[in-house]
Amino acid sequence: MILRTAWKNVWRNKTRSMVVIASVTIGIFAGIFAVGLMNGTMEQRVDAAINKEISHIQLNRETFRDNDDLHLTLDSIRERNRKIRNMAGVEAITNRLVVNAIANTASKSTGIQLIGINPDQDKKAFNLHEAVIPGTGSYFNRESRHNLALVGEDLAKELNIIRYELHNATMDSLRSAGIPENVLKKLNPMVDKRYASQDLFVKDLKKHLTKKMLEAHGQKIMEHAWTFRERSRLTLTFLDKDNVQTGGMFRIAGIYDIKNSMYEKSHVFVQKKDLQQLTGLGAQATHKIIVRIADREQTKQITEALRDAFPALQVQNWKEISPDLAMMTSMIEKFNAVFMIIILAALSFGIVNTMLMVVLERTKELGMLTAIGMNKKKVFTMIMSESVFLSLVGGVAGMIVSKIILMLTNQNGINFSSAAEGFEAMGFSAHIYPTISNTFFITVTALIIITGILSSVYPAIKALKLDPADALRTE
Amino acid sequence: MKVLELHNVHKIYNGSEVNVHAVNGITIDFEEGEFSAIVGPSGSGKTTLLNMIGGLDSPTEGKILVDNTDLSTLKTSDLIDFRMWNIGFVFQSYNLIPVLTAKENVEFIMNLQKRPKKERDQRTMEMLKAVGLGDRANSRPAKLSGGQQQRVAVARALASKPKFILADEPSANLDSKSTETLLDIMEELNREEKITFIFSTHDNRVIKKARRVVTIEDGKVISDENKQ
Ligand SMILES: Nc1ncnc2c1ncn2[C@@H]1O[C@H](COP(=O)(O)OP(=O)(O)OP(=O)(O)O)[C@@H](O)[C@H]1O
Ligand SMILES: [Mg+2]
Repeated sequence: MILRTAWKNVWRNKTRSMVVIASVTIGIFAGIFAVGLMNGTMEQRVDAAINKEISHIQLNRETFRDNDDLHLTLDSIRERNRKIRNMAGVEAITNRLVVNAIANTASKSTGIQLIGINPDQDKKAFNLHEAVIPGTGSYFNRESRHNLALVGEDLAKELNIIRYELHNATMDSLRSAGIPENVLKKLNPMVDKRYASQDLFVKDLKKHLTKKMLEAHGQKIMEHAWTFRERSRLTLTFLDKDNVQTGGMFRIAGIYDIKNSMYEKSHVFVQKKDLQQLTGLGAQATHKIIVRIADREQTKQITEALRDAFPALQVQNWKEISPDLAMMTSMIEKFNAVFMIIILAALSFGIVNTMLMVVLERTKELGMLTAIGMNKKKVFTMIMSESVFLSLVGGVAGMIVSKIILMLTNQNGINFSSAAEGFEAMGFSAHIYPTISNTFFITVTALIIITGILSSVYPAIKALKLDPADALRTE
Repeated sequence: MKVLELHNVHKIYNGSEVNVHAVNGITIDFEEGEFSAIVGPSGSGKTTLLNMIGGLDSPTEGKILVDNTDLSTLKTSDLIDFRMWNIGFVFQSYNLIPVLTAKENVEFIMNLQKRPKKERDQRTMEMLKAVGLGDRANSRPAKLSGGQQQRVAVARALASKPKFILADEPSANLDSKSTETLLDIMEELNREEKITFIFSTHDNRVIKKARRVVTIEDGKVISDENKQ
């Protein structure tokens, strides 16, 4: 009966209760969504790093990572491969050769890391092959009598392999992509010109478009104007096994885009057999064995197992290779916790405030109830339940709204394309799929209930302290 | 049989400037089945007296026995229980819980008393009929007139089977017609069911209906008149 009365009391002042419930709903939603967005960003970054850059665990000679010494190759590679493949939890392995090099095109040169892979083997540990930009070539699928290199989009831009052109066809596709006529008109003078680099193109864009137009459509125009100089070549220079400078001419096999400028600028992939031959290291030469495991949660155990199996080698997992990733993950977790605490605290103040008002308004009625025989425990329970109901209704509504919106946005993601460059410069994709784990959801629900209960204690104690004779005399 | 005895009861409120001697040495008994009015001008101490009788406030000095129980011997929590079982209250206003129907309000104390549902249902309807509101059982207080609300309060007080019913100016907010109906119902319940009523008032029409009139002034009984 007390609970029923409490529930009815919640709806006594409908407007006020709805305002409280709505603010709880919005607060919870804002909190969960922001956390989802951060988690999504983080997850995608970690996934991208694992799937395209480092995988889970890497093995190499003890000092190899310190100075990338060409001579520190692994021996008895076949035997080691077999041993690792047979370990529990291992999904795939790949052998890579890593050589420091200088990449040159006709106009520019830059220092890079040259990675020799066996494409068929590497595909199983990484999904870099999925990151090749359509129309730029392929992932070493094409037979060629030349040496082939897969370069990153940002390196290609830097080396002027990518250029920018606006043709009538480009204008048409821009039109169908929703760029307004007045903007297209302003672009007219740029049609059929050739821009050797992004910088030059943007410079000209700035001349023709207003700042506002540039902000709104610049990214899209750039994506459409982007073209690739087919059969481009680049020269790669490095040292061979006798420390003699060597190198070769490489055809661009394709351009990959993993939304991480830093990585793209510094990693060029070539076929391992080509690199083995050019360096003279021999057909078995491998610097790294890279291990992909089935379940990321098992990283630690499998790393330990590998360390036991290969005490002479350096065995490092993704968290150790990229401590910034691990740190970011744990920082985001802490940040999320702080964020939720702030939101729950705000929720709590809202409830305390409302319930204090309720107790004040109902002083006379509460006095009457104590007078006719409602004991302290029941008065306490009633006021407590009212606030718990308030927070529960708001909390549940917040959870439902969050779940629905998360489900919707998780399918298609949210595109922050106007800020894409900033995101990608830091290795984050600008297209974010917010994610929230079920554990987080359950924790938040529990926390809302606890917050509701805790914040109702004070008003309920206030109600207990009422003296019936005084309460009845109040006007 | 005495249901209520007061022995030299005083109540002094310690104000910031002056101490108010609201009840100043009252000794009085009430018998079972009485229909008594406590009358006196505003500020004479009626509410203070009734609050002490009802165990809502404690005397500064003196003793109050309800059905031979000294109220001062009860702990706060026991006192609440004692009130629930022994004393029925009707206040001037704010008697009812606005979110509950008339029926639920009447049932409320019986619910606190944990009486079985069957008894509750039966008694609730009985009491609502007794106060002439059998057809308004499902109305919320806001849909009832002031007089009807007071009658629901009387029905609720009765339903819990108390030793007596205390009513502090039950008709203060009512028009004369409602006042008459309310008093008639109370009188009838007193006559037929032997319910003891003690109520305060300064309304002459109400005083006329009382069988005993206790007049107080400045916290003292100045006359105690039995009209039987
Ligand atoms: N809580 C209190 N603190 C201080 N003084 C009080 C308090 N309650 C009542 N008084 C004083 O005690 C005296 C008696 O008040 P009481 O309310 O009992 O009178 P009353 O006869 O019920 O008056 P009314 O007819 O206006 O209801 C008054 O002078 C009042 O000001
Ligand atoms: Mg009074």
